Amino acid sequence: MIEIGRICIKLAGRDAGMKCVVVDMLGSNMVMIDGQTRRRKCSIRHLEPLENVLKIKKGASHSEIAAEFKKLKIETKESKPRKAAEKPMKVRKSSEKSEEEKSAKAAKKQAKEEKKKEKKAEPKKAKKHIKKK
Amino acid sequence: MPTGRHKSRTFRRVFKRTPGGDTRMYYLKRKPKKAHCAKCGAVLSGVPRERPYKMKKLSKTQKRPQRPFGGNLCSRCTRLLLIEKARQGA
Repeated sequence: MIEIGRICIKLAGRDAGMKCVVVDMLGSNMVMIDGQTRRRKCSIRHLEPLENVLKIKKGASHSEIAAEFKKLKIETKESKPRKAAEKPMKVRKSSEKSEEEKSAKAAKKQAKEEKKKEKKAEPKKAKKHIKKK
Repeated sequence: MPTGRHKSRTFRRVFKRTPGGDTRMYYLKRKPKKAHCAKCGAVLSGVPRERPYKMKKLSKTQKRPQRPFGGNLCSRCTRLLLIEKARQGA
């Protein structure tokens, strides 16, 4: 009764009540199923065979089975492989600054140093002046 | 002496050891009945037996099996029902 291509209804577990196809025979009691259910190993005691038999190869892929199911108007759930959510990358502060900012900073630094030099020359007099007072 | 309402057995008595080392008795409301299969009356497994305020805290998946008719029919009755439906359709 149960052979490759046989459409079955799953009776147990969270996929119970869903239609599936036997894809592969694994030993005397176990089969590989796919279709509305997840692609998984299953005991034949958990399957109720139906009339239809699909013409599929042994170990057919999920897309092939989904196409066959479409012909019979059985909807299959397409689950996309999960993509990891893109997290904003942490950037170090030093590398965050653009070149323009760097050059602007360098210019500022130069200006400061120049001012310092000027001050060094000048304030001595001023200090003396204060002391005199 | 316990107060009047604590003398009857409407409350269940729970003994708990306090941090101080002595045991104290608490009066708590009784738990509801176990969940039963709607068809055959068997006790359902996978359905917790708690008061509503505790059931509210549980997630949906913790409250019943994730199967069609989960938490309503037992697994055996579900299986029979699915087989019956499959054979009717065929």
